[in-house]
Amino acid sequence: MVEKYDENIGGEDAAFLEQVAAPLRAAEHAHPSFEKRLMENVRIEGPALYPVRASSNSSWWRTPRVVRLSPLTGLAMAAGISAIIALSGIALGSRFSARSHGGAGTAELNARTDPVELVRFVFADASAARVELVGDFNQWTRGTTQLKPSGAPGVWTVSVPLSSGQHEYAFIINGSRWVADPLAVKSSDDFGTESSVIRVEPPLRGTT
Amino acid sequence: MTALSDAELIAAVLAGDIDSFAGLVRRYQDTCTRFAVRMLGSHVDADDALQSAFMRAFRGLRSCRDPEHFGGWLYQIVVNECRTHASRHRRRELRFPTAEDAIERAVAPGSEPEAENDVGGHIERALSMLPAEQREAFLLKHVEELSYEEIAEMTGVSVSALKMRVKRACDALRDLLEGVYNG
Repeated sequence: MVEKYDENIGGEDAAFLEQVAAPLRAAEHAHPSFEKRLMENVRIEGPALYPVRASSNSSWWRTPRVVRLSPLTGLAMAAGISAIIALSGIALGSRFSARSHGGAGTAELNARTDPVELVRFVFADASAARVELVGDFNQWTRGTTQLKPSGAPGVWTVSVPLSSGQHEYAFIINGSRWVADPLAVKSSDDFGTESSVIRVEPPLRGTT
Repeated sequence: MTALSDAELIAAVLAGDIDSFAGLVRRYQDTCTRFAVRMLGSHVDADDALQSAFMRAFRGLRSCRDPEHFGGWLYQIVVNECRTHASRHRRRELRFPTAEDAIERAVAPGSEPEAENDVGGHIERALSMLPAEQREAFLLKHVEELSYEEIAEMTGVSVSALKMRVKRACDALRDLLEGVYNG
């Protein structure tokens, strides 16, 4: 015998189906660490799969971006800054300074006894001649954290050691244009000036 | 507030900006979690399956021929990964929410306490008793609310076979839940 499927579900059946399906449509959320764990693996495999294209000129280059790196990856990618951090004794939690390449200023922050993570800020804008980073980690002081050209056209980067917790920041382009990160959570001060928020999670230990 | 499209994020990853993949993860992780949790009956298994699925998607990003419809392509991978996961764990049939899951659910953001009279629990238990292919078809049709054509494209199963699976799933759920709604 061949069963026949009746697509026109009657009122009673439809009501029953809705009773069953509605609770199942309730939102579920990925575990808070889902993205972090996934991106750790992505960052391990990614560079071999998708090497940086030097000639890329697609629209994303024109947007400011923040890229969080594990301390080791960050150290490898920003050898200059890592040397300064290592010499300063990051594990000892002493006060240290990180000098940006090609920039005149120095960014200082008090590492206290918290672990820090090296956070790589990337800004992409083909029209930018000078890019700097300001945030609570450098007391919003202009001229202290300059981004340097990454090698890819129009892409500027700087790596900054940040302690765990929430930090606010913004980019200043060509000495005058204030730009918040469009991909990050926004924050406004009392005068309506937008900045961006990055949350640095403490390093995961012993996750399985 | 500007948000990059799926296609822009994919272009960025393919150009070497690996961290742009996080934008896609953030955009789809919760939707995929809902399907995986319903399908596998466990937050822990769903998390495992989705870690694998997103990594497969990342590795195969170049083969996503229509980046504007990345979501559908990803969903196909998630459905397949859940199938694999379900068959791998078939010995652990009749999955009931474990204590571990209950704890996870309680601490997950946006989670709510058990519904009054635990009707949701009855439904989840009934769902877990369906054969995997019926559960999958029912979830895609009536929970994810996809069309039969979309499901057919995603699963490689014909529309008529899908309709039959959904019908059988509905019949079985009616039998299993008769006491809950009529008792």
